[in-house]
Amino acid sequence: MKKYVVYTCFILGLFWACRKSGDNNGPSGPTPYKIELPAHFPAPVYDLSQNPPTVQGVALGRRLFYDPRLSRDSTISCGFCHQQFAAFAHFDHPLSHGIDNRTGFRSVPSLFNLIWQGDFMWDGGVNHLDIQPLTPITDANEMGEDLSRLIERLNADKKYRSLFEGAFGTPEINSQRLFRALSQFMATMNSFNSKYDSVIAKKAVFTPDEAGGYVVFQTKCASCHKEPLFTDGSFRNNGLPYNPALNDAGRMRITNSTGDYLKFRVPSLRNIIKSPPYMHDGRFYDIFNVFRHYSNGIEQTPTIDPIVKNGLPLSPEEQRQLYLFLTTLTDHSFINSKSLSEILIDN
Amino acid sequence: MKPCYFLFTLLIFCTACKKDLIRKDGNFRLRFEHTVGTVPLALGATVYQNPSAEAYTVSAFKYYISNIYLVKMDNSILRLPASYHLVDESKPDSKTFLVPAPQGEYRAIGFKLGVDSIRNVSGAQTDALDPALGMFWSWNSGYIMAKMEGASPLSTAPNNILNFHIGGFKGQYNAVQDFRLQTPISINVAPDRAPEVTFSADLNAWFRQPNPVSFATSATIHTPGEAAFKISENYKNMFRITNVTDL
Repeated sequence: MKKYVVYTCFILGLFWACRKSGDNNGPSGPTPYKIELPAHFPAPVYDLSQNPPTVQGVALGRRLFYDPRLSRDSTISCGFCHQQFAAFAHFDHPLSHGIDNRTGFRSVPSLFNLIWQGDFMWDGGVNHLDIQPLTPITDANEMGEDLSRLIERLNADKKYRSLFEGAFGTPEINSQRLFRALSQFMATMNSFNSKYDSVIAKKAVFTPDEAGGYVVFQTKCASCHKEPLFTDGSFRNNGLPYNPALNDAGRMRITNSTGDYLKFRVPSLRNIIKSPPYMHDGRFYDIFNVFRHYSNGIEQTPTIDPIVKNGLPLSPEEQRQLYLFLTTLTDHSFINSKSLSEILIDN
Repeated sequence: MKPCYFLFTLLIFCTACKKDLIRKDGNFRLRFEHTVGTVPLALGATVYQNPSAEAYTVSAFKYYISNIYLVKMDNSILRLPASYHLVDESKPDSKTFLVPAPQGEYRAIGFKLGVDSIRNVSGAQTDALDPALGMFWSWNSGYIMAKMEGASPLSTAPNNILNFHIGGFKGQYNAVQDFRLQTPISINVAPDRAPEVTFSADLNAWFRQPNPVSFATSATIHTPGEAAFKISENYKNMFRITNVTDL
């Protein structure tokens, strides 16, 4: 009888030996990180199952985000232009800045709710969150670094090798792991705790002015700045006067279609009051300039969006109330979140 | 139960442990050789003539081979597991590679020149598809399917350069081209065999038909679109099989 017990144990042992090796990270593997998804949002576009966030991966992504050594001369990190207090836009900077005192030709977009976004950049030229950082890292006007040189540099850094091992199981660093770590961090940059969200969840109420502004928003803005993300993700010509100095064709640059001339992404209005200046070229420093543009500044061009073609008249009272409504889209818990804030990298 | 029976049972259990569940019956080798017209391609100072009799030199020539399939003797198609290969004239090792395939006799080989649309929209890739290899457009996401760089005195671009970066995976200007080439003798894949197929790629095909290119008017292509697509229509005629070794 005893012999059978031994045999049985041995055979069970064999089954154990047969287990799939891939799933077995053991207690020393990375710890899964749960991304909180708000109930009133649609399902994310980004497939988290392809790059499951882990505590170690998110922490690594955050370090990479704030590490200026990702740029050619180690002066500019992602966080240099994407400032948390400005909802990860570049406060007070109409056009993006880069190494060697270079200036780009578009404004720095704010960063949040990126896992609900299918394409990126003002012209939608980038089709996946993972490869989005490739553009600023390699663009001569931004971080100006060669990707293979960067990977080489990271591989030579003991600290990074141990952090990549913690996040991905082995210390090898390649571009896929770099981008996936950055995506894991960016997947945590979500903003859905504004006063507006509390009102939607019936935990708060608008003031009469905010409620008035919400009505103005719903009548005049909501068809493009669609709730709850406050963008419909489309590309439109909103009638901005053409700037010959920048000569920016917008989405036409990507599609080669004249029908997309001067069309740009509809940005989200979340945290809008925190992230001036406005528009793809940062031409408006004040949200009231934006109101005046839609009210009576529309320039007629062949691709003008039918919705704004005849202007969106906004009386001074409507503008005041709209402004107060837009302040309810500021998410203080996001802008002050300790888990997203800049970290000092001293080694 | 006698111990020897038990040992026998144990052995059977051990074979069940094989982690490698896909049986790889054999391999065949693909070899790529590059020419300009009938002359072997050499990167550097060698001067060639394009079909419009314009002089040029070549500094880089590379392209993706993917979605390889075999055609069985009954003309049915056998798609092989996804694999992506960057054939690069400057890296001799990249010009030949083994492809695992099930045992059998095959009469033709097919593949795509380029990277299928799925991998163009699936985020960060690795190995041959690593964007660090310089075959990826960051500003307008997508792979450069094939690339030639060089110089021609007729080029009006700075430093008389030639830059033909061919890509685009969308709509009417999808530059991913399908190839299917009949092998002169059938290929037999089996565990004890090492069949090898040699393709010759003529770089001048890029500039010949159906869309003749003169370097005087067209020296650089850096974006997906009509111009890139037209070159891909040309290089669709680039390959021929020059040798099959079926040993």
